[in-house]
Amino acid sequence: MSEFGGMEELLQDFLTESSDMLSDVDNKLVELEKRPDDKTLLNDIFRGFHTIKGGAGFLNVDALVTLCHRTENLFDKLRNGEMKLSAGLLDYILASTGVVREMFGELAQKRQPHSAPQALLDSLDAVLEGRLDANPAPAAPAAPAKEEVKAEQVSTPPAAVDGEPDWNKLYHGLLGTEPAAPAKTETVQAKAALEVAPVKASEPVALAPSSGAFANTGVSSMNSGQQIAQQLTTQETTIRIDTNRLDQVLNLSGEIGLTKNRLTTLRTDILQGRSDAHTLRALDEAIGQLDLLVSDLQNAVMKTRMQPIGRLFQKYPRLARDLARQLGKDVELVITGEETELDKTMIEDLNDPLVHLVRNAVDHGIETKEERLAIGKSEKSLVQLAATQVGDHILIEITDDGKGMKPEMIRQKAIEKGLLKVEDANNLDDKQSLQLIFLPGFSTKDQISSVSGRGVGMDVVKTNIQKMNGRIDIQSIPGEGSRFTISLPLTLAILPVLVVKVCDQPFAVPLAMVREIIPLSKNDIQQVSGKATMVVRDEILSVRSLASLIGWHDNKPPSFGVLMQSAESSFVLAIDTFVGRDDVVIKPLQNIKPKGIAGATLSGDGSVVLVLDMEDLLAALGTDQASPLFDFA
Amino acid sequence: MADKNMKFLVVDDFSTMRRIVRNLLKELGFTNVDEAEDGQIGLHKLQNGQFDFIVSDWNMPNMTGIELLKAVRADPNLKSLPFLMITAEAKKENIIEAATAGASGYIVKPFTAATLDEKLNKIFQNLGK
Repeated sequence: MSEFGGMEELLQDFLTESSDMLSDVDNKLVELEKRPDDKTLLNDIFRGFHTIKGGAGFLNVDALVTLCHRTENLFDKLRNGEMKLSAGLLDYILASTGVVREMFGELAQKRQPHSAPQALLDSLDAVLEGRLDANPAPAAPAAPAKEEVKAEQVSTPPAAVDGEPDWNKLYHGLLGTEPAAPAKTETVQAKAALEVAPVKASEPVALAPSSGAFANTGVSSMNSGQQIAQQLTTQETTIRIDTNRLDQVLNLSGEIGLTKNRLTTLRTDILQGRSDAHTLRALDEAIGQLDLLVSDLQNAVMKTRMQPIGRLFQKYPRLARDLARQLGKDVELVITGEETELDKTMIEDLNDPLVHLVRNAVDHGIETKEERLAIGKSEKSLVQLAATQVGDHILIEITDDGKGMKPEMIRQKAIEKGLLKVEDANNLDDKQSLQLIFLPGFSTKDQISSVSGRGVGMDVVKTNIQKMNGRIDIQSIPGEGSRFTISLPLTLAILPVLVVKVCDQPFAVPLAMVREIIPLSKNDIQQVSGKATMVVRDEILSVRSLASLIGWHDNKPPSFGVLMQSAESSFVLAIDTFVGRDDVVIKPLQNIKPKGIAGATLSGDGSVVLVLDMEDLLAALGTDQASPLFDFA
Repeated sequence: MADKNMKFLVVDDFSTMRRIVRNLLKELGFTNVDEAEDGQIGLHKLQNGQFDFIVSDWNMPNMTGIELLKAVRADPNLKSLPFLMITAEAKKENIIEAATAGASGYIVKPFTAATLDEKLNKIFQNLGK
C-alpha cells in the first residue's frame, strides 16, 4: 500500500528532480573540500538542501524535512561566515547526503522513510550550537547537557510560529496601514502556521550517549558509494524530454500521415488500372519521401531517448572521494564530456560497470601516498572519466595515473589461478595478456579487499558492456597508469549491419566490427603451423570461414573476406558474397538461443535474416582462438 | 470577490514546487497560471505578458525572489502588481526585507490550499481599499 495516496505523480516528480539536485550537491561538496571558502558553492549547496526540504514539506516527509533543515542551517552559518568548514564537519554533511539518498530510495518504493540516525541529527545539532568543534575525534563526544538541548528545542522553531503574526504587524507598520486583520484570522493563521511546521516543534532531541555514535555516522558515509550505486538502479521509470524534440516527432508523424494519404490515393489509381508514367513517377516520389521521413522519424525518436551522460557521471566524484578517504589516498576525479548524449537504457546499464571501474582505479590502480612519493609522483593522484562521441559511437575512458599493469604479472596470475595454460601464455602478446583480467575468477590482488576485489568483477563488467553491443579495451603502461576504453553504439534500437551470404543464406554482421571487405583468393591464404592466415598490409591475420564457424560445410571456396575487429583480435571472416549494409531492428528469438545468434530481422524482400553475435560465436569455439578453425587447402 | 480568470505567474526554480503551487491555485479555482524558472525569466515574462498576480519563491539562482520583487516595484508598468512571496523560513529579518521591498504578502512552506486562500483573500482585500 502506498502511503502517498493521490500524490504518487508528484512524488515521482519530486524524486526525479531532487535526485539530480542531490547528485549536484554531492559533487559540489567534493568541490567544496578543495575550495572551502567558495561563497557560490556554499550558496548552491544551501539552496539544494533548502529546496529539497521545501518539496519534502509538501509531501509530508517529515524525516527528510528534519534532516535537510539541519544541514541547511549548517550551510547558512557556513555561508555567513559564522562557522568554518572542517574535514570533520564535511564528514557529517556527506553522511547526511548519504542518508537523504537512502530516504529517496525508500520514497521511490512509496514508503515513508525512517528518520535519520539519531546520532547524526545530534551531531548536526551539536555542531550548529557550537558545542562540537566539528572535529569528530573519538575522544571528543558531544557534552550531553540536557538543559541546552531543551533550550534549543525552544529556540529553533520559534520563527515559524512567532513569525506569522509578527508579519502582519510589521507589514502594516511598514506600509502605514491599519492592522486590518481581525482576531479570528489571527487564530486561523497561527493554527495554520503550527500545522505547517510540525517537524520543527516535535522531534525531541536526545544526545548521543557515547562517542560510539560517531562511528556510525562514519560508516554511513563510507557506504554511501554503495547506496549511490543501488539507488540508481531502483528508479528511472520516467523520462524527461526536451519539448522541442517531442514536437519534432509529432511534426514528422504528421508528415508521414500526409505521405500515407498520397500513397492511398495512388494505390486506388493503380488498382483502377491507371499506371501511366505520371502515376508511377508520383508513386516513386511518394515512396522516396516516405523513406526520408521514416529515417528522420527514427532519428527523432531515438533522440528522445538520449540523455546526457553527465547524469550518471555526477555520481562518481563522491564515490571516488569516499573510497579514497577510506583507503587513505588522495584522489581527484576529473570529469569531461558530461554533455555527451547516450541512450537512456544504456546510461542505466552503464552504471554498474562504471562504478566498478572507478573503484578499481582508486583501489587497485592508484598507489598509496607513500608509494607515490617514493617513486617521485605527486601525492595527489588523478582519475579521469571522459566521454566523447566519435562518429556513431560513444567512447568512455577511465584513466588513472597509478601503477599500471604488468602483462607478465597478469599472465603469471592467470596461470596460478588455473585460467591459462603455460604454453598458451607464451603465445599471448601484451595486449592479449591485459585482456586476461576479464576472465571469470581473475583478481590480481592476493588479499581480497572489501572494496573491489571480490573476484567477480571485470568479467561482469565486460559481459555488461557486450550486452550493449559495446566493447572494452585496456591500455596500460607499468608505472604510469591504465586506461579503460569503453566503446558503445549510440543506440540499441537500430543496429547498422553488413549483410553477407554463405551457402545462399543471408546473415547480418554488426557493422561496428567490420573494418573492410577484401577479395579472397586461394593464393592469399598461407598455412602457418596448421592455421589459415593471410597478410593484409603487413599484418598477419587468421582466416576463419563463416560456414565452419556456424558448423556448415561449404563446397565453394569463399570469395570475399570481411576484416573484422573485435576487442581482443582482428581476423578475416571468409564469406561467399555480400549483399550490402543495412540498418536493422533486432528481434530476439523467442525461447531458443542458438550459439552466436543475437536475433533475427526482416530484410527488404521480407525474408528472415539472422543477426550474428560475433563475440558469442568466437567464444563458443573456446578461449583458444588461435587454433585452426578450418582447413583451407 | 477575485476574478477567477486572473493570470498568475508562479516563479520557482524547483519544477515540483511550481507544480504544487499550480495545483493549489487550481484547487482554489485559479486556472490561468504561467510558470518561470527564476527571477530573470519571471521578469522577462512579466514585461511581455499581461499578468495579474505574482507568486514567487525567495531562494532561486540567477535572480532571487527579493531581487525580482525589487525589479517589479521599480518597473512603472508592473509596480502595482500583487506579489506573494513564498519561503521556507519565517525569520524576522526576511519578513522585514520583503515588506520593505513591497511584498503584498508572505507565505511559509509548506502550506495548504486553505492557507493560500487566506493569504490571497487578504491581498485582494487590501487591493480593494
